[in-house]
Amino acid sequence: MRKINKKIATIVLASLAVLGCSDDFTDVNPRYTINSETYFASEDDYNNALIGAYDILQSTYVNVILGEIASDNTHAGGESANDVVGWQQVDRMEHTPINDNLDDIWDWNFAGVQRASYILENKDKIDFEGKAQIIAEASFLRAYFNFELLKWFGPIPIKPEGQFVLGDETTFPRASKEEVYTYIENDLMYAVDNLAEDAPEIGRVAKGAAQSLLGKVYLYEEKFSEAASQFNEVISSGKYHLYGTEAGENYENLFEYLAENSPESVFEVQYTGTEGAGFECLQCSEGNVMVGFSGIRGYSGPVFASGYGFNLPTQEAYESFEGGDARKDVTVLDIEAWAAETGATYNIGNQDPETGHTGYYNRKYLPRQNDNLGDANLTQPNNYRAIRYADVLLMAAEAMVRGNLDEGQARNYLNQVRNRAGLDDVSTSGNALLDDIYADRRSEMMGEGHRFFDLVRTGRATENIEGFTAGKNEVFPIPLEEIQFSNGNWKQNEGY
Amino acid sequence: MNKKLLLILLLLIPVCSFAQTFSVSGTVTEAETQMPMPGVNVLVKNTNTGVVTDFDGNYTIQDLKGGDILVFTYVGFEPQEIPVSNNQTTVNVVLKPDSEALEEVVLIGYGAQKRDEVTGAVSSVGEETIEQLKPANVAQALQGTSSGVNVTFNGGSPGSNANIRIRGVGTNVNASPLIVVDGFIFNGGLQDLNPQDIENITVLKDAQAAIYGTAGANGVILVTTKKGRKNQKMRVSYDGYTGVQETTRKLPVLNAKEYALYINESYANSGQDIPFNNVNNLENETDWQDEVFKQSMVRSHNFSVRGGEEKVSYSLGASNFYQEGIVAPEKSNFERNTAKLTLDVDLTDNINLSTKLFYTNVQVKDINAFSLGSVLFNAANIAPVISPDQDNLDGTINLGNEVVNPLTQTRNTYNNSVVDRLSGTVQASIDYAKNLNFKGRVGFNRANTRDRDFTPIYDYGTGKIYTTPNSSVSLGKSFTNDYTAELFNTYTNTFAEDHDVTFLLGTTIHEVKSEGLYGTRTDVNANSWEFADLGSAYGIGENQTNSSYASIFRRLSYFGRLQYGFRDKYLVSAMLRRDSSTRFGPNNKVAYFPSVTAGWVMSKESWLNDSDIVNLLKIRGSYGVLGSDLIDDFKYLSLLDGEATYVLGPDQSLVNGNALGALPNPNIQWEESKKLDIGLDLNFLDNKFNFVYDYFKNRRDNLLISNLRVSGILGTGAPGASGPTVNAGEVVNEGHEFSLGYNDNVSEDFSFSINYNISLLNNEVTKVNNGIGYIEGGGFGVGQPAPARMQEGFPMGYFYGYRTDGVFQTQDEVDNHPSQQALGANAKPGDIRYVDLNGDGVIDENDRTNIGDPIPDITMGLNFSFNYKNFDFSAYSFANLGQEMVRNYERSQPNVNKLRYKLDRWTGPGTSNTVPRATVESTSNNAFSDFFVEDASFLRIQTITLGFTVPKKFTEKAYLDKFRIYGKVDNVYTFTEYMGYDPTASTGEPIGGGIDYGFYPLPRTYTIGVNIQF
Repeated sequence: MRKINKKIATIVLASLAVLGCSDDFTDVNPRYTINSETYFASEDDYNNALIGAYDILQSTYVNVILGEIASDNTHAGGESANDVVGWQQVDRMEHTPINDNLDDIWDWNFAGVQRASYILENKDKIDFEGKAQIIAEASFLRAYFNFELLKWFGPIPIKPEGQFVLGDETTFPRASKEEVYTYIENDLMYAVDNLAEDAPEIGRVAKGAAQSLLGKVYLYEEKFSEAASQFNEVISSGKYHLYGTEAGENYENLFEYLAENSPESVFEVQYTGTEGAGFECLQCSEGNVMVGFSGIRGYSGPVFASGYGFNLPTQEAYESFEGGDARKDVTVLDIEAWAAETGATYNIGNQDPETGHTGYYNRKYLPRQNDNLGDANLTQPNNYRAIRYADVLLMAAEAMVRGNLDEGQARNYLNQVRNRAGLDDVSTSGNALLDDIYADRRSEMMGEGHRFFDLVRTGRATENIEGFTAGKNEVFPIPLEEIQFSNGNWKQNEGY
Repeated sequence: MNKKLLLILLLLIPVCSFAQTFSVSGTVTEAETQMPMPGVNVLVKNTNTGVVTDFDGNYTIQDLKGGDILVFTYVGFEPQEIPVSNNQTTVNVVLKPDSEALEEVVLIGYGAQKRDEVTGAVSSVGEETIEQLKPANVAQALQGTSSGVNVTFNGGSPGSNANIRIRGVGTNVNASPLIVVDGFIFNGGLQDLNPQDIENITVLKDAQAAIYGTAGANGVILVTTKKGRKNQKMRVSYDGYTGVQETTRKLPVLNAKEYALYINESYANSGQDIPFNNVNNLENETDWQDEVFKQSMVRSHNFSVRGGEEKVSYSLGASNFYQEGIVAPEKSNFERNTAKLTLDVDLTDNINLSTKLFYTNVQVKDINAFSLGSVLFNAANIAPVISPDQDNLDGTINLGNEVVNPLTQTRNTYNNSVVDRLSGTVQASIDYAKNLNFKGRVGFNRANTRDRDFTPIYDYGTGKIYTTPNSSVSLGKSFTNDYTAELFNTYTNTFAEDHDVTFLLGTTIHEVKSEGLYGTRTDVNANSWEFADLGSAYGIGENQTNSSYASIFRRLSYFGRLQYGFRDKYLVSAMLRRDSSTRFGPNNKVAYFPSVTAGWVMSKESWLNDSDIVNLLKIRGSYGVLGSDLIDDFKYLSLLDGEATYVLGPDQSLVNGNALGALPNPNIQWEESKKLDIGLDLNFLDNKFNFVYDYFKNRRDNLLISNLRVSGILGTGAPGASGPTVNAGEVVNEGHEFSLGYNDNVSEDFSFSINYNISLLNNEVTKVNNGIGYIEGGGFGVGQPAPARMQEGFPMGYFYGYRTDGVFQTQDEVDNHPSQQALGANAKPGDIRYVDLNGDGVIDENDRTNIGDPIPDITMGLNFSFNYKNFDFSAYSFANLGQEMVRNYERSQPNVNKLRYKLDRWTGPGTSNTVPRATVESTSNNAFSDFFVEDASFLRIQTITLGFTVPKKFTEKAYLDKFRIYGKVDNVYTFTEYMGYDPTASTGEPIGGGIDYGFYPLPRTYTIGVNIQF
């Protein structure tokens, strides 16, 4: 009996040894990684999260280049008529809900909304001096991204209280246009009230940026007097002037590195070529991807660097400038003339008559020779002048004419812009003045991604954009996948 | 007085004993062959006196006295005890093979079973096969030798990875099986193992692998290394071979004149000036593939010592393997050095201690081997009218931004990667009570990796993506440290003679920790590889980057197995494993994996027992649940590991912040694989024939879909962000495996064996629950939609594109066909005609469909070997049928070189209905369609070996046990219609595999070698 007991004891002991470890062994935390549960515990956390929200601005390069391609300003270009097929389709106004490049716009701008919302939903975690400025910047950025989404897709789902979480896509409806506008206005009004007159750092937003964007939003809503009053605040602040109108400035340099973050820049998206990038994550690039894509194919010569040959100004666009307009050759590069003059060589890619080679390049955002890191086509450091003072003046003029507010002031603003380009004053009024403003707006803003939306909001798209279908092409289709994700919650835009 | 007497007597005893001793000699022979047996231990029972028989089986043992018992032992033979009587002078012994020992033992994880009693589906590859194949990578030994196992390589670049898939692709995440070396999880690649250290590879294909729980869903490969055997005389062996390698294939591309004519035609067709005005007087006629492919060498030395005494066995060995690439041998090569030591000691009758130490050092240099822009891609696409000496392509015909001179590219390639791996194990086994055994063991792997990469300043031509204005050096150092500690208890008993019971209970803890440190610096001193170190580079500013990572993974498991057999006839086993893993969410921390297997050995029934025809007939079945936790760590947590970098300040400097990374999924859990297997084993006609059949159905549920596409409003498009990892899919692999072998020892001089196996597989994705119903992967061309999909109702990773219907012959045909504008351009005569699948009158994205898949429907292997006198011959072959591959190595740029099939292009009505016209206009002909999908079925004669063993009578004089020389050809010939380099290559990606980026072909190798034993 004792012997058996001994045996059993041995078995039990051995088994206990076998079963000696507990599940605590697998309760470990990731090493050296920041967990969201303990975030927003210091001022640094807020600052760092804000950098995350700014980061997304760099991916809005696609809004710019595709906004140009969609308009009557440029052809898609590229290597062939199939190169970046989503852009080619937009150029032909044949885009459908299946379009990876439109999907990028949806995804990346919502990513910006989410990152800004992440800060805003945690704004009350702790208090510190300067927090209001950070919250105001986050509000501005959220409004900026939401406004882009509204311009591209029309009504969008909104969640002012914070970030979307998994499942919201099936429950948050596409809010009405008015609701989205109100949401954007509220964010911008908060930003206007809380932003400092001068940005805390170059590259961050100041009050003038929020006022200008708010004015622009009002202009899109055709709330002309509200728009004009925001623009007037910016104009009268004395913080900005047209580059080239003061000593030491030359208009021809406005889009060169030299004039980055110049006094004309109300809001500027910052880029650099000091970090490499690859095709697998274009939105990760710290460079302006639009610039490399706009570059001259196989270019070898002075001043410029080569690129992929997209976004090619049309003959019509080139010829739309008035005689003597200094902007013509700052805006468009006539490659044949340039090659003849400098001996530069280049290749021609896409030769499709509707989307291909034109002989012109978007000079404002052509790659300049520089020592950016590879893939050099993706890391061009040209900053994007998102809101220029000239734009503010022209928008103010437009608001004042369309709102029957002050034609004299409107003419004055328009003429400031014209004079800088070496053109004489106009003295028109009424519709003729409005047409002059529109015409000048095209010349002034060409190549900067605004044209398509200007045509749409002023009801001039059908007459100017080949293939444009009224009642459909004012907005772009919601990506098909998104319609599927929403599980019936979101309806596709009319006509798609 | 008595004491004195006693003392005297005691003193006398030795003398008396001495006087009575005698010696005995004799010969030991083997029962079956009647051949003398060298190396047999002859021991006087209960003493330390003993000798070993010589080469002729002769022995002489002295100092025997009457009544001594001689014990004759030899591994694998029944020991014999023979008492000797006084003055006996000769004892001749015949040893019979030990039927117990001869019975093959099969590893089943935490135990072994006699082959006849195995109730799971198991394939094994033995030492002999590995000896004959002498593979560079152990995985090659599984190619065609194991039914249900498909092996592909990431091309033939030296040291490239093997992708092993057991019974199809069960998952979209990581389909690689668990590799267990001598009982311990091996996290390295099989290329790090010295094939000649391996004695046996066993593949657990079904629910029997459930003992490995959450690590076993992709199947388990058990690798057993060679070690010494007890009572074995020391055996020293050397194996060496050297060989020459060459490419098996060149892509059929146009020569210079054909090229110039084709390009001229394409320009002329588009109404443009022709680039070559005099095609009869071209400046250069370069065969770029001839320039790029080289003959190169491979060699291997392997040295080992093995042996054992009564209580101790040992082995030690060292090897060196060096293989050059067949492209740029000096820039692309692989060297592996290994050393090992094993020791096994019986401390007492009850306690055994064994320990092992393996060291591996692997050094790899490689070139860009497959992708858009690889060396072979460039060789295939660069124009043949360019001179090999033209490093900068400015001034030559424009080839786009990607294509550069492949020779310049390899010259400017400088890298070096070194892995040092030290693995060790210690195991103690204690029979602590009757029928009870307790084992405790600890194993570790410590791998250090050092990577160095240098890119010189170089101008390949304007706009070329490889042009680097600045030199840079990148260093990476990482180490991975893992350990496994296991305790398990085994109870074995037989009740009432008929009831065999084995019960196993154990626990395992496993931890993997790794860390890495990376840095890059520009402006390397003298723009030279010689100074490629961070300290010898002088770059300043933002281009100087550094990064690091640290990770931890832990798994805790308990497992139990009960095996029961009744008269070896009815066999049942049941297993249960409980796992908890750091990769699972808090809501699913613990998983249970049950399985059962059963078998009925019909040949042991009385009505079959006496059969002369049937030697073994067994029906077996298994069912169980296994798991896979091969996902990234901590996917259940929301971490701020996204990218947040912006440019701020007057100097436009980069500033870093924080942003959320992947969306978390707190409910994440392991993948679950439910495996059913029904099999039959049959040996017949004197065991000369063996036949195995298995039917299997594996349903992989809760597939982990990482970076699940979710609505963009969740912010997953942000840099460094991604979708959540979600259990959202299901895949079913169903199939049949047959294998038939015939082994015959026809005569003393002649024996042969032939083995054939065939596996039929049907793979179907049965659920993708991510909102859109499919997951995309892979890449085709530039800027084109993803060509491969995982989608419900289709095979994993099937190719999704347009179906073609010949070539438009006339404008009328174009006009009467739906518009193809949406694909990029309006069609013209000579363009590919696409099928309007949905019949909506327009060809667009909605007309895409399944145009093939990379998973073979049928895989086969046929192996044959014979021995005749001193010659041995073996041949191995395998075939895959019903697999497709995508031709993705043609750059769709007007001026690059073309494949020869373009000679059959359309040039006018009626000229061709398969190959589109030559043009530089934009066309829709490059949209991803079945035009680019090829049948990649193949039959490969993998290895042919002829060996000659020098007869003993000659080798003995040199004190050699064995001296064999052999010649071998690997990758002898491939029968295939596939146009690309190698239909056996694949990236192994579940979605996107089978897309051929211009895979580096596996080389053909001519080898001669020797095996020497003494």
